[in-house]
Amino acid sequence: MKFAAHQAYLHTRVSGMATRLFRPDTLALLAERRAEELAAEYDLTAALESQLPVKARSRAVEQALINTLLAELRILIRPMAAPERTLILDWGRHYALANLKTLIRGKLHDLDRKVIADNLYELPHNLRLPMQDSLFQAENVLELLRQLEGGPYSFIARQARVVFERKQEPFALEAAIDQRYLTGLVRDMALFSDRHCPCLRRLIGALLDRLAILWLLRFRFSYQLSSSETFFQLVPSMRRLHRERLLALVNLDSFAAVLAALPPPFTGLLAASHDLMDVQRRLNAFLRGEALDVIHVGQTGVARALAYLILREQDLMALFSLIQGRLLELPAEVIKVAIETSSARCHLGERQAA
Amino acid sequence: MLRPTPMKHVRLLVIDEDLPRASLTLAELASFHADDRPPEEEGFAGQPSVAYRDIWRQASSRLEKITRLIPLPPEERNPSPRVIPEEELTATNNWLGSLWETCSRYEEEFRAIDDEDRLIREQQSALSNFEGLGIDLGMLRSKTRFLDFYVGLVPYANVRQLEGAVGLADHLLFQYMVTGDDAHVVIVGPSGAQGAQLESVLRSAGFRHLPIPPELDHEPQVMRAELARRREGAAAQREALRQRLRDWSADLIGQLASSREVLRLAEPLVQLDSAIRGVGPLARLAGWVPAAAVSALEARLRQTLSLPFDLSSRDPRPEERPLVPTISTRNRLLAPFALLVQQYGIPRYGEIDPTPLFAASFLLMFGTMFGDVGQGAVIAGLAWYFRARLGRFYLFGVLAGFSSITFGFLFGSVFGFEHWLPALWMPPLHDPLLMLSLALGWGVFFITMACILATYNRLVIGNWAGAFFGQHGLVNLIFYLALAWGGFNLSQGEAFGQGPLLLVVLSLGVLAWHGWGHLEAPVGEKVLVVFIETLETIVGYISNTLSFLRVAAFSLNHAALALAIFTLAEMMGPLGHGLTLILGNVFMIVLEGGIVMIQVLRLEFYEGFARYFAGDGHAFNPLRLGPAHERESLP
Repeated sequence: MKFAAHQAYLHTRVSGMATRLFRPDTLALLAERRAEELAAEYDLTAALESQLPVKARSRAVEQALINTLLAELRILIRPMAAPERTLILDWGRHYALANLKTLIRGKLHDLDRKVIADNLYELPHNLRLPMQDSLFQAENVLELLRQLEGGPYSFIARQARVVFERKQEPFALEAAIDQRYLTGLVRDMALFSDRHCPCLRRLIGALLDRLAILWLLRFRFSYQLSSSETFFQLVPSMRRLHRERLLALVNLDSFAAVLAALPPPFTGLLAASHDLMDVQRRLNAFLRGEALDVIHVGQTGVARALAYLILREQDLMALFSLIQGRLLELPAEVIKVAIETSSARCHLGERQAA
Repeated sequence: MLRPTPMKHVRLLVIDEDLPRASLTLAELASFHADDRPPEEEGFAGQPSVAYRDIWRQASSRLEKITRLIPLPPEERNPSPRVIPEEELTATNNWLGSLWETCSRYEEEFRAIDDEDRLIREQQSALSNFEGLGIDLGMLRSKTRFLDFYVGLVPYANVRQLEGAVGLADHLLFQYMVTGDDAHVVIVGPSGAQGAQLESVLRSAGFRHLPIPPELDHEPQVMRAELARRREGAAAQREALRQRLRDWSADLIGQLASSREVLRLAEPLVQLDSAIRGVGPLARLAGWVPAAAVSALEARLRQTLSLPFDLSSRDPRPEERPLVPTISTRNRLLAPFALLVQQYGIPRYGEIDPTPLFAASFLLMFGTMFGDVGQGAVIAGLAWYFRARLGRFYLFGVLAGFSSITFGFLFGSVFGFEHWLPALWMPPLHDPLLMLSLALGWGVFFITMACILATYNRLVIGNWAGAFFGQHGLVNLIFYLALAWGGFNLSQGEAFGQGPLLLVVLSLGVLAWHGWGHLEAPVGEKVLVVFIETLETIVGYISNTLSFLRVAAFSLNHAALALAIFTLAEMMGPLGHGLTLILGNVFMIVLEGGIVMIQVLRLEFYEGFARYFAGDGHAFNPLRLGPAHERESLP
């Protein structure tokens, strides 16, 4: 198929799949239903019906939802050319990085091998960590990173190892991994022609803007890192939170001052936010809006496909939060907060330790 | 030879304790192919060998890492089989774990020396760079009262971000050189409270200090010699460390080899892991065994297992046929042809193994298309000469060469000369029409045989509808033979014939009726689809038969090419004549030989296999003992 045919196919696929995305009121409607009904509707009955403990069932549900997302990802990349495919696969590799972090935490805290294995996601071949079995058998973090350095993840592993050798801190290690992952996405985007760029810039820019604000606030005011250290851990966006702006923002001394100094539309969007959770909720809504716009008005298939995957991931993870809340018998208010703040649960520095 | 080796499905129930012994026995006999499906019996949900498997995997991983530092002699081919209990496996794993701890320290020491060596090389680069600057480098060497200096290396990818970060701590970053993935930088800024903050950022960025020696500002030659001496020192250190490692490991090699043997003997149970399920103390494993080997398996289990067991066997059920493994031919002469068949696919259990037919028809067509005593001898000779490199595949070259020689005698051709030997039959160019007619006849025979095999393969698995009405089934065959009959009549100058016409119309009618019944579409669409399919059947069989004309065409082409080379040679002087003949023959062997082989494979795969060979079977891969590399290479 020629380029135009590929694009037409991809656009049709994305438009078809986009009908599966949640409408604004979907989650509210789903929240009124029982876990069994949700399971039946989203083909999760097998995961929920097993005789396993709640934690294992919750894990099975999460795995099943991730399988759904990654199956759709594989369908979408079929008609794509190499650079487009690389970008989408690299985006999907944050699950492999979640596995890498699980392995690292497991080795650092000398966890039981079964516990580590239970917390690894099952991923398709083209999204798995290379030599995952061999990494699993590594005796310590350094050995693990050295093994990973020999393969396609060398870009991430080398930086992580250097940081780990100099700073034996899990935080610095995971931050280095996340930073390299995002830098890789920006690098992938640089390969696209100007024709693709406006939509992709908008989407990846929104993704990076959201993370830059969250990380800046978290590192600077929750972890009390210095402005230098905070800036070094951030990944400048090509849109609003660019390098110069981040340099100015990290030097501010209070949460409110940073929010006040943010460029539009974040000034209005985050006005009157007092805590990180509220900021995260509003930024999720912002990213959702940007991705929906790209789906509706985007001209290039790859940008629309990525926008769809980002939204689909948000939806599935919100659904997971809902089912998990039901399994744990949490109060409705707590589930509501979890849904609003859930994006990709395993995404970039937001996942709970294994 | 064409029929598959009959297989039985066996189910073995053993007591947990006897699992390692049972798996070892199965591996020794090398006749058990594990069946990974969940058991049909209720209750077998446990996985009794999971702990054993995990220990084995960890131990194997450790052994592999250790042997990167301590090479071991080749494995014994046939170690005496003995059961490895979990306790022994655990002890081996623990011993390997403690050994790996020491080994990893050696590994780190090697890495430290490599890092040191790399740093010295960077210093040598920096020295060349600093020499031309003409500044007092002593100023950069240490902190002053007012200024801090940091000279060192940082991953190039971090420079831009680090520049911004140090700027926030009121420092400036200068990049003065890039080597590989690293950038050489100088960071300078006011001394004071920002120091600790900066150190933390530098560690996050992977910054490595690059000391500036005192000699650098006034005696670069001395410094250069010093750096060279330090590199020699690093090399000596590396050699000394290697020697220390050799001395330390000398006494361990025997025990390491024993550990390797323990792991190899324990491996069968690990390989069976996915096929083992348990309930209470009972373990169940299932698999496929050649029917002729079942009684031997039972007898051997009776000898080796100390606790009661139950072995039951049954024929494969019809729905299980796609899962039953197929044993490929063991015939040495057919082995290279089996490799080519496997490029297309593995015969499904019950299907005719096409290897012997493929070998015979391949040799026949290759010889016909490339018949020459001299060139055939060269092909056979080269295949023989390079037999070590070609492995089992050399026989393919030898047989193809002999086929070419045989047809060379029939055609009376030696390196293209047709007067050196009397033709046992005739040179192809003497009667091209006869050659083309024979090729067409061969095509009809080939396609007929393919249809018969397709029908048989479907009948064997109980697919009656497919056998009669499916593609290349019995009705198709009747149509094709009637078409060939009519075509033959036409070639004899007669009419197509009522008999063939009736059969063609009837068979096409049956096919159309069958196709109509299987379509779920509006009437208009049905008419269109059935019409196109019927047309495709007619055109397909005619074009496929004509495809075999290439067999004659290439034999004629071979003779014509030889003729062209002789004509060119005649135009040369004595030296040019000889050279043209030699180069012409080389050209024919390499290029024409290659093209003929591709054409024959195309006929075999497309006109033959595509009709009767599903190729979606599984190779019989029994559990067996032996070094890993040998297990992988076995069929």
